[in-house]
Amino acid sequence: MRRIFKTLLAGGAATAALGGLFLLPADVAVSADHLDPPNRTDAGFDTTPDVPADIADVFAWHSNGTVKIAMTFAGPVATTAPLYYDRDVLYKIHISSKDPGTTDEFTIKARFGKGAGANDWGVRFEGIPGVSGTIEGPVDTNLEKDGVKARAGLFDEPFFFDLIGFRETASFGTIRIRNDRNFFDGQNDTALVFEIPDANFGAGVDNIEVWGQTLRFGGNL
Amino acid sequence: MRANRFSTSRFSLSRAALIFATPVALATLLTACGDNGSGSAVVVPAPQPSTTGTPTPTPTSSTIAYNVDNCFTQKIQGQTGKTTTLEDIIIPDTLKLDFTRPTRFPNGRHPSDPVVDILLATIFLDMSASGQGPNTLASIPLDPPSNDKPFSLDFPFLAAPNGAPLRASGTGSNFDFRTDADAGYVIVDRMGNPAVATALIRGAKKTEYNDDNPTVDATHKYLEEEKEDLTDRFVSIGDDLVGLGLKICATTS
Repeated sequence: MRRIFKTLLAGGAATAALGGLFLLPADVAVSADHLDPPNRTDAGFDTTPDVPADIADVFAWHSNGTVKIAMTFAGPVATTAPLYYDRDVLYKIHISSKDPGTTDEFTIKARFGKGAGANDWGVRFEGIPGVSGTIEGPVDTNLEKDGVKARAGLFDEPFFFDLIGFRETASFGTIRIRNDRNFFDGQNDTALVFEIPDANFGAGVDNIEVWGQTLRFGGNL
Repeated sequence: MRANRFSTSRFSLSRAALIFATPVALATLLTACGDNGSGSAVVVPAPQPSTTGTPTPTPTSSTIAYNVDNCFTQKIQGQTGKTTTLEDIIIPDTLKLDFTRPTRFPNGRHPSDPVVDILLATIFLDMSASGQGPNTLASIPLDPPSNDKPFSLDFPFLAAPNGAPLRASGTGSNFDFRTDADAGYVIVDRMGNPAVATALIRGAKKTEYNDDNPTVDATHKYLEEEKEDLTDRFVSIGDDLVGLGLKICATTS
């Protein structure tokens, strides 16, 4: 390993900078939140992993007068995976629009429900800022009410990271990480996505704090 | 392209990007450069990674004592308002979004943000050192710079699923939703910032951390855990980082 570092140093500072990171322990930044906590969601630690309740990522961004929020879960999974709409899981997206940012002024809740047809699944959203009552409809369709757009459904896994290279680098002590290999490439996630006008958060609000949460009815699997 | 609020590296980023594009290219570097930088340009392909089991790592050891307090309190370049330090970014563990500034993690999080590279730089590097900043690694980049599918500017923003997976019908009505009170549910998972629960909270605390909430975070209940975890990382690699000429945020004794 020292020989490699010495050689890398000869290649320049940027090269050297990256060489150090190749020594990271295998469990550093292995994911955004996928398979965490492991004893509830990771088959390597739990014989009954709760895949539908496993949050993968939370995103929140702003542009053109609207806030976009997305929470992905049940992923990454192969294209052959079953549907992960689970009637017993409650999804919450907490939004704080006032100090302190630790308590929420808005709590978006999402639930899935089965329809009559074999693959008929619906979603019910409540608590969306600026929306009276609920937004409800089939999954995998764009829903809209009171200027808010909402959708639950299957998507491409949006996270990108060379997990294999990271782990192999830590194991072998040789450089394996690549910026042209994405472990999450070609896999899918289920997600909740919202587009909400700024005004729905209240007059003068231009800072929010967001966090996601999943809960299972009747206890953990 | 969205504005980049962070300083860029003084390093030759275009060269580094080329060098680290593939292991093959990296192997070229290793064989082409002797200790004095000379050598022939012979390409020796690097072994391809395997997804099968790997041997137990042999971590590097260090007798240096690290103090990571500065890593949590140092100012992050380009940041204003609440998210001025690592501690303020991750405690409480919420995504903090200021509408008045361009979104780029840690000001919110767009799906296209290279959050792993940004976080690694933020937790290990001295942000006051010339040429080092949150985007040092992302600018190279260390990891893949983007998703395999482009994101849309229009709702629902995320890309369509891969392959031909089983899909819901997209139709129906009179869906059978639970109407039970929240008290009937128990917490499974929570998330604010990417990779905090997975990277800075160790196994023994993970379940407790997920069961807690930002109000508990704000009491700094997990700050010592996060510092101890990061200290462990520096014990493993701190001397190597310094030896490579990088300025780390931890102080040593």
